[in-house]
Amino acid sequence: MRDLIDAWVFVQDWIFETLVMPVLYATHLMAWDEPAFGAVEFVMLGVVQIIVIALGMRLFERRWPLERGTDDRLMRVDVVYTVLNKLGILPLVIFIATLPITNTIEYLARAWGVAPLRVEHIAPWLQNNVLVTFLIYFALYDFAAYWVHRAQHRISWWWALHSLHHSQRRMTVWSDDRNHILDETLVNLVLAIFSQLIGVQPSEYVSILLVGRLIESWSHANVDMGFGWLGDRLLVGPRFHRIHHALASAQELHIHDSNFAPVFPIWDILFGTAVYDGKRRPTGVDDPVIDADNGRGWIAQQIMVFGRFLSALVPARLKRA
Amino acid sequence: MNKFTVLAAALGLVVSANARAEGIIVLNSEEASYSIIDAATRMEVQRLPIGREPHHLIPTPDGKELLIASTGTNELLVLDVRTGERRGMVRNIVDPYQLGYSPDGKWFVTAAYRLDHVDIYKTDGFKLAGRVFLDGLPSHMSFDAGSKTVFVTLQQSGRLAAFDLATQMLKWNTFVGEAPAGIVTLPDKRLLVALTGEDSIVVVDPVNGEVGGRLRTGKGAHNFWPKGDGRHFFLSNRVEGTVSLIDTQEMTVVANIRVPGGPDDMDITADGKELWVTQRFMRRIAIVDLATLKMVGHVPVGKSPHGVFMLKGTQPTAAVPSPLQSVSATVEPK
Repeated sequence: MRDLIDAWVFVQDWIFETLVMPVLYATHLMAWDEPAFGAVEFVMLGVVQIIVIALGMRLFERRWPLERGTDDRLMRVDVVYTVLNKLGILPLVIFIATLPITNTIEYLARAWGVAPLRVEHIAPWLQNNVLVTFLIYFALYDFAAYWVHRAQHRISWWWALHSLHHSQRRMTVWSDDRNHILDETLVNLVLAIFSQLIGVQPSEYVSILLVGRLIESWSHANVDMGFGWLGDRLLVGPRFHRIHHALASAQELHIHDSNFAPVFPIWDILFGTAVYDGKRRPTGVDDPVIDADNGRGWIAQQIMVFGRFLSALVPARLKRA
Repeated sequence: MNKFTVLAAALGLVVSANARAEGIIVLNSEEASYSIIDAATRMEVQRLPIGREPHHLIPTPDGKELLIASTGTNELLVLDVRTGERRGMVRNIVDPYQLGYSPDGKWFVTAAYRLDHVDIYKTDGFKLAGRVFLDGLPSHMSFDAGSKTVFVTLQQSGRLAAFDLATQMLKWNTFVGEAPAGIVTLPDKRLLVALTGEDSIVVVDPVNGEVGGRLRTGKGAHNFWPKGDGRHFFLSNRVEGTVSLIDTQEMTVVANIRVPGGPDDMDITADGKELWVTQRFMRRIAIVDLATLKMVGHVPVGKSPHGVFMLKGTQPTAAVPSPLQSVSATVEPK
């Protein structure tokens, strides 16, 4: 394990000292060297995630596909989303957009003497249990993400954005990152502020994102797999999450308003939104306007979905007029 | 080294509290923890949690306690300076990034790096005397020998500011260069400021802030540590990956020592034979042999190691009450 960490640190240090820091120095941006060093690690983690998805998870999809013979071209745009996300290009845009807001909140809170609470303050025995502390924060983060996800389905303008994620008829391990950039920004902003308030540390935040997004990538896999009766109640898997992406039918008009939890199904169980029926359903959205996202490229999807978002902001009575 | 040796070393440290007199504390700023290294075995024997983003630490003027600043949780952890045992917490110290005591021990100053302000406390009672907002990123500080003035570098705006401690009023605020960080006051009263955005240190007049000289050291000149003779100082050059030994009387670079990985804070062992340097980007602390001026080893620690301190029992500089004894309102026993 130590060798693995050493190798990781060596690569991060080499990239930073050889490629990044000289640029910061030459462009008079040395005050940003510490965040830039963290960004290098973020990109490296993204590369690892892409490798895990492309070589590991895709293996299962090829060997045991749930849906066969459907159009693989629909999947390609999701690969673009994943690469843009995992390599930090979209997160950088989102970070720059949200930094003034999150910074202002933190500055105000701390200037007023309000420091974020740590779970160790409540339970001092956690001071020597890094893993337990991490799991507690992971669960709290997932709890917040569950409610954000419900809001994405409940609020019409947010659904206009989020429906892009659901419009995919060829759902695969690449589909998790298929989101409108404004949708990603809002979700990140809410969850980042929540994390600040409960005292999640930057390194914990990165770990939560890394582990959480990998689990979420797997939960979109085109396989009919779960973790067993108990496992499916502890961790979200493909069988559980596919129900959330199910195409609505006359009998199941609101089937996608179930199984919201990103990682821990306990939230769906507790709040009455869990469905465990094992039925296989096609994925997508039963709305021709939204379904038209299929076949579009990244730029076209971003533009068209933004149009849907603007339209959703207009009150219904004005549209009728 | 096998597991048995590791266990034995760890047990040795636990059993014999005095053994920690040779311990070394390193703050892992991105892991919210601090490492305790056994100087004899040169191994990390404990990694203990602390608040959030610990960057710097300082012994109290009486030499009995060590304050570790947890910037994200607005608090200071108080340790026994000899054994490293936890004694308590000082709460409500907002964004304590850099810490400093005036030479007479009457003033305690913190630089809030992220929140852009400098706080000046009276050590007697540990009460906030004044808060001064500055633009931008106040990072390092130094005091004049008479304990009248504190000088604070502003890393983002390239300026150096001087404040009167008694009135907390700004005396001057001048541009000194790109990304000024480390600062020291020399026995002859001159100030030396390290420019992390350049490859030099500059000499600054403490009366008016005018830059009077420059010495090229290495790219990313960042922080100082005294050799102990009042004349020579070590300087970490973060971009260059070196530590320079500077003669402040001749204003020359005596030696450049290769220390890769973003060298930052430093301390010298009790026997004066080694300089330990945190390597921010390599998650380790480097050991420099002061006889040969070569890096002779390193010890792996946590993520982004920043402050370092030798648990060697510092000599008192002033008779000042401990923050734990003097401030019941803001201190909670741990």
